[in-house]
Amino acid sequence: MSQPRSSGYFRTSYQRDIALLDTRTQKTWLAIFGAVLLAFPFLAGPFMMDLANQVLLTSIGAVALMLLTGHAGQISLGHAGLLAAGAFTTGILFKEFGAPFWITLPASAAVGAAIGLLFGLPSLRLRGLYLAVSTLALHFMVIHAGQEYETRRGHSTGVVIDPPSLAGWTLQDPRAWYFVLLAGSVATVLFSLNLLRSKTGRAWRAIHSREAVAEALGINVHWAKLSAFIVSCTITSIAGCLFAYYRGFVSAEAFSLYLTIQYVATVIIGGIGSILGALLGTVFVVLFPYSIEALMNALGLADRMASVIFALNYAAFGLAMILFLVLEPQGLVGIWRRIQAWFLLWPFKQKPVGK
Amino acid sequence: MQLAVNIAVLAAIYALISCGYVLIYRVSRVLSLAHGELMMLGAYGLAMTASLFAGHPLIAIAASAVLALLVGVLVYALLMWRMTGESVLAAVLTTIALGILLRGAMILAFGTQTQYPLRDLGWTNSSVAIGESARISSAGLTLVLGTAAVYAGLFVFLRASRWGIRMRAAGQNPLLAAQRGIRLHGVYALAWGLATFTGGMAGMLIACDAGIEATLVTVGLKAFPAALVGGLDSLLGALAGSLIIAASEVLLINYVDPLLSDVVPFFVLLAMLVIRPWGLFGTKEELDRV
Amino acid sequence: MTPPLLRLDKLEVVYHRVITAVQGISLDVPAGSIVALLGTYGAGKTTTLRAISGFIGLDDARVTEGAITYRGERIENRPPHQTTARGVTLVPERSKVFENLTVAENIEAVVPRPGADARKLRDAVWEYFPALARLRSREAGYLSGGERQMLAIGSALACAPELLLVDELSQGLAPLVVQELLDRLQLIRKGLGMTLLLVEQNAAIALDVADYAYVLENGRIVLDGTPEKLRTHQDIREFYLGTGADGRRNYRDVKQYRRSRRWYG
Repeated sequence: MSQPRSSGYFRTSYQRDIALLDTRTQKTWLAIFGAVLLAFPFLAGPFMMDLANQVLLTSIGAVALMLLTGHAGQISLGHAGLLAAGAFTTGILFKEFGAPFWITLPASAAVGAAIGLLFGLPSLRLRGLYLAVSTLALHFMVIHAGQEYETRRGHSTGVVIDPPSLAGWTLQDPRAWYFVLLAGSVATVLFSLNLLRSKTGRAWRAIHSREAVAEALGINVHWAKLSAFIVSCTITSIAGCLFAYYRGFVSAEAFSLYLTIQYVATVIIGGIGSILGALLGTVFVVLFPYSIEALMNALGLADRMASVIFALNYAAFGLAMILFLVLEPQGLVGIWRRIQAWFLLWPFKQKPVGK
Repeated sequence: MQLAVNIAVLAAIYALISCGYVLIYRVSRVLSLAHGELMMLGAYGLAMTASLFAGHPLIAIAASAVLALLVGVLVYALLMWRMTGESVLAAVLTTIALGILLRGAMILAFGTQTQYPLRDLGWTNSSVAIGESARISSAGLTLVLGTAAVYAGLFVFLRASRWGIRMRAAGQNPLLAAQRGIRLHGVYALAWGLATFTGGMAGMLIACDAGIEATLVTVGLKAFPAALVGGLDSLLGALAGSLIIAASEVLLINYVDPLLSDVVPFFVLLAMLVIRPWGLFGTKEELDRV
Repeated sequence: MTPPLLRLDKLEVVYHRVITAVQGISLDVPAGSIVALLGTYGAGKTTTLRAISGFIGLDDARVTEGAITYRGERIENRPPHQTTARGVTLVPERSKVFENLTVAENIEAVVPRPGADARKLRDAVWEYFPALARLRSREAGYLSGGERQMLAIGSALACAPELLLVDELSQGLAPLVVQELLDRLQLIRKGLGMTLLLVEQNAAIALDVADYAYVLENGRIVLDGTPEKLRTHQDIREFYLGTGADGRRNYRDVKQYRRSRRWYG
């Protein structure tokens, strides 16, 4: 399943080919990375913890979007709407019925699946631009529903949620959250990787390249599209639920078009068609505003910029997106692969036919 | 009657903005979602020229209009030409990113306070009576008349003038157009310039009516369903779509729920996508093509 | 000896950076002549013409080796409008007119070569194709096949070309219509002093009008000569003209028959 490595290494069976890890080097590196991840909370301060938690939380939604847009090729501009759906389900169930998390989480998933079906229906008739526009329209309607709830029930500034608790123990400590979110992120990544090497994943890749050919091969294109939407939206909705609990607060303003664009940016900047891309993109997008702030501090402009720091983030983010779209359409994964290829092929350089 | 006046003004706003969407899409097959921000840039442009040429309102307006045209051409020349031939998603995302960049830059440059360029121009937004029961602001009246003039001009340009025909040809079949000597980059730059000019005009007129504030951008986003409902490559469609959306919005706000104003255009859009995705007057593209 | 108007020198054209469609062909087109490029489908004829007229990268194709020289200037890999401005115009095989524009608008849309008299050219188009003049306000999408081809040639003429590249003139048209078009083309050539490079699958009619012909197979030129020489060549007769060695019609497909020994023999 992973990229084939340099010469001397051969895959001799189908099992080996679709395995997630094959060489010993890969397994060693992964073990080291895993150890670092587990040790992290005991070495990092509160600011870094929050940062790490944000990255992990965002990664769940990013991987979901990558499955939908990057692998199945269904453009969706409604991602924030799905997050809002999960968050508001949690908020509403908590506020109205005092439901505990082991009800709100599955409920969010169910709502996500239902709305995913709704978002997916236009994809049966529309493609590309028009599909993106329909998801945009649906996004606005979901947000509007959330706003209606807030106004009708008098929570105009948002819904406050208690942190989830089980048998007297509450999930509040950032370190505890870290492990929960890490588990969630790892679960999502593993689930996605497995899904991608299954029949469904292959069907998605087929409809992404050439729909008519996929149909001719006997793939049920309609079901493939709908399943992509449903799976992606369910995961995103769960992410929305976690988001609500982590923040302790749900408000419609948080789910703007800008949030959708940030998620789309993780997919684009990370590199379409790769789970690794989703993860790299997440790290980039989440850390971006903080790096801008750090840059401002380093340049000594922090005080002057304090009042307009969000505008500066906006502008810098737009610029970063443009640079990636124009200069490196394959994203961070493209850069990573080029570095890999350079090391693997040195001193030879691969030259495609015709310069 | 007042309702009809309100609908007319809102429809004029949407029509003026959506003709920009249509121009760019029809000629270069790119959906520019940066249009709202470009519109706001036009409004700020007027604020700048108004204070620069205080006391000479006509010069200020003319300068602002020329500025808007130039900005459009620049956007194409510096950025969008690189995206010709790339995938639809990449081009649309580039315009979205451009919009974000512009929005941040505008706040950095002009601050967040509401501005009133009309004051600098030395004019007042008086109210004009229509019939016995309705009133319209003079900015609103200018909007309606201006939109009509712009559309008439565009129709004549695209139908009768040689470069208008060439723009339509380039929109239909870029390769053949290039083989017949038409410089595609020039045509695309012209389309962007015209689109930003009309959008900027809309921004300027709204600024005169209600001042420049952050919500101006959402108006641009709401005009986009108008373009789509009418058909993304039809100017006539943009007019029709704007009327429909404006009418639905005003009527629903008045008789049902004022909160609906932001979401009504998208309801109508979704309905149209379900029934007739290529819009009322758009050319039926092969939506299921391989 | 005057240099040819157009010269291709070991031209190589690659699609998607992996498929070499044209593998090193060389040919000359002398000024004022009619040269035919023959071959069956997939031989690379259309690719050659499009390489001459300028790819726009829509098919991700590039000239990777060799040269296309027009009047001494290298014109490969240039944008189409530049090549048209130099006097090389293409009548494409498909999508040859602007469907949603009227006939008159199709002619108006053309940007003629700098220095050419645009008004005179447009009048010339109506003169050479009176049928089109009658259909001035008809939308191009509603024209018949023959009328469409006339419009395609007409709009190419409005560019004031010196070298006209015509791709598959006869495709999809009745033989009488094709004959009329060819006669019209000959007239135009004499009247306006153009050079023609025709790509044709129908070898019989091409050999009737051409001064010289090249035969393309699988991206290579395998034979060239005057029509007289080619008409008597055994393989041309068998595979391109359909008249077999024993006088009976022979439909054996060019690509399937292993003839390598004959070519080299």
